[in-house]
Amino acid sequence: MHRFRIPWSLFPVFRHSLRHAGTPRAVLVGSSWPAKMAAPAVKAARAWSGLALGLRNAVLRLPGLTQVRWSRYGPEYKDPHIDKEYYRKPLAELTEEENYERELRKTQLIKAAPATKTCSVFEDPVISKFTNMMMKGGNKVLARSLMTQTLEAVKRKQFEKYHAASAEEQATIERNPYTIFHQALKNCEPVIGLVPILRGGHFYQVPVPLGDRRRRFLAMKWMITECREKKHRRMLMPEKLSHELLEAFHNQGPVIKRKHDMHKMAEANRALAHYRWW
Amino acid sequence: TMLKGMTRLISRVHKLDAGHFLHTGSQAPQNLAAHLDNQVPVESPRAVSRTSESDPAKHGEQHEGQHYNIPLQDLKAVFPHGLPPRFVMQVKTFNEACLMVRKPALELLHYLKNTNFAHPAVRYVLYGEKGTGKTLSLCHIIHFCAKQDWLILHIPDAHLWVKNCRNLLQSTYNKQRLDQPLEASIWLKNFKTANERFLSQIKVQEKYVWNKRESTEKGSPLGEVVEQGITRVRNATDAVGIVLKELKRQSSSGIFHLLVAVDGVNALWGRTTLKREDKSPIAPEELALIYNLRKMVKNDWHGGAIVLTLSQTGSVFKPRKAFLPQELLGKEGFDTLDPFIPILVSNYNPKEFESCIQYYLENNWLQHEKAHTEDGKKELLFLSNTNPGQLERLCAYL
Repeated sequence: MHRFRIPWSLFPVFRHSLRHAGTPRAVLVGSSWPAKMAAPAVKAARAWSGLALGLRNAVLRLPGLTQVRWSRYGPEYKDPHIDKEYYRKPLAELTEEENYERELRKTQLIKAAPATKTCSVFEDPVISKFTNMMMKGGNKVLARSLMTQTLEAVKRKQFEKYHAASAEEQATIERNPYTIFHQALKNCEPVIGLVPILRGGHFYQVPVPLGDRRRRFLAMKWMITECREKKHRRMLMPEKLSHELLEAFHNQGPVIKRKHDMHKMAEANRALAHYRWW
Repeated sequence: TMLKGMTRLISRVHKLDAGHFLHTGSQAPQNLAAHLDNQVPVESPRAVSRTSESDPAKHGEQHEGQHYNIPLQDLKAVFPHGLPPRFVMQVKTFNEACLMVRKPALELLHYLKNTNFAHPAVRYVLYGEKGTGKTLSLCHIIHFCAKQDWLILHIPDAHLWVKNCRNLLQSTYNKQRLDQPLEASIWLKNFKTANERFLSQIKVQEKYVWNKRESTEKGSPLGEVVEQGITRVRNATDAVGIVLKELKRQSSSGIFHLLVAVDGVNALWGRTTLKREDKSPIAPEELALIYNLRKMVKNDWHGGAIVLTLSQTGSVFKPRKAFLPQELLGKEGFDTLDPFIPILVSNYNPKEFESCIQYYLENNWLQHEKAHTEDGKKELLFLSNTNPGQLERLCAYL
């Protein structure tokens, strides 16, 4: 196996010269150290060579923003429709548009569905995202088993409470682990966040409204970090996670405290809000 | 045309009212009609999953698929050890112990009711794939025998005696064999809890000398031997050996019926993971507990029955997919057990599956909104492949 070294001058500079990158580059045979950087270049080059040059580059590229994750699919690939109900509708019941859409999809190219997305009725995107965030080293089996053990632990704890409580309290106790999980994460989401902005050589923590996705991410991230770090060495993750989720469900506990700390910091740095320009 | 046929079948399924949960799948429309007639009416869903008959002696074909309740005090008295850990968790969560009545257990009950105590003890072997319910069937049988006032010799898991044993002592009785004081004392404690009333009735027929100062006279109750084993942990294994020997000798006399129930009997033959100090492996025969248990499982005594369960889950050095008696017992074990009655424990049939889901729904165990729906049930059936163990694990987090 030959080992090739590609000189830096030959690398496509994605940011400014997207126009030049239409032609295929020299294909690597070996796996040398620039291979990791050259491989996406080669892949991108291969993908582009099949398409009209310049078309892909022009679509939705903001100035100064580089695409970090390249997808092998071109823009003509549509997302797959994973929904049993959609396909179960008998042909007679479809409206004009739906019929048209179905016919159109027969000719379009469709991406392969990811392995994690199923048409199972029990699937939950929030749970999947949380499991992915808990995963370490690609060990999805372990992450998923931890998640299921956590849900089971939450359920058993709530059942214990239910059987120990009186009749009036029983109505208030929530036993569905999924509602508890969703509510707990919703309670942990911060409303406002801090962003470091460079002004006059110094970084200032400026309060900034956060988008939906960022808030959900922060809630999950705080929950996982809290459970990983602040537990006894011998305590297992499902036990700790279930405890934290139940506390967050009742608006108590360290994750909620962290959210409040974030809010207080944002309130304290209120004066710097003018540094934000968007 | 296939698509039209499928859509017609699906629309027929949708036309059924909400009560009929059965998964029709690829059945032909004629079978569908027959199935509808045979179905239990759903006006009283309790009738499908539960039965009020809590005496195992009266369980018959009509109770198949239904859960019967075991009172919690009985549970502690009859099963100080021996229930699978997940079942114990379920009992704790639901505050009730319900076992499903299934065909293999009913078959065994029928045989046990018709045992001839003058003939040598018959060996019944429950075998099946992982998670099909062998241990719980064994527990059903033990509950029946306890109700019938038999003496129950229940070894909850023979695999625990051949792996992960910390303290091995050289046996005082026989220099070649090895003692396991911890395991023996734990077993004696549980044996005492399960069979309190017999320990004073049965008298020992020999004098046993423990050491220079202690000995058990001839004619003293068996309870004394058990006490000796529990208090003097060093002699626990020998106490177990004595208990087994005495029970075997006296079961023919007719005072009591003896049920020998061993879970994971394939541990008695095969290999152990234990090693001596010089790292040489130990064969099962060299462990005193195993040696005595093998004598118990031989059918040279009469006045009772022997019910055994094979288990791959806790076994050592056996492939994961093995479940047949020949594979798990090995040549030696199979030859020793040779004339035995094999009873296959298989996955749930649709009625039992339905009953299980109903039971979980009644206890509000299935909290997920979609689990109540048709689609949810079909999915559970598919994911678990009607395997009881898998179904239980799935429903735990749904």
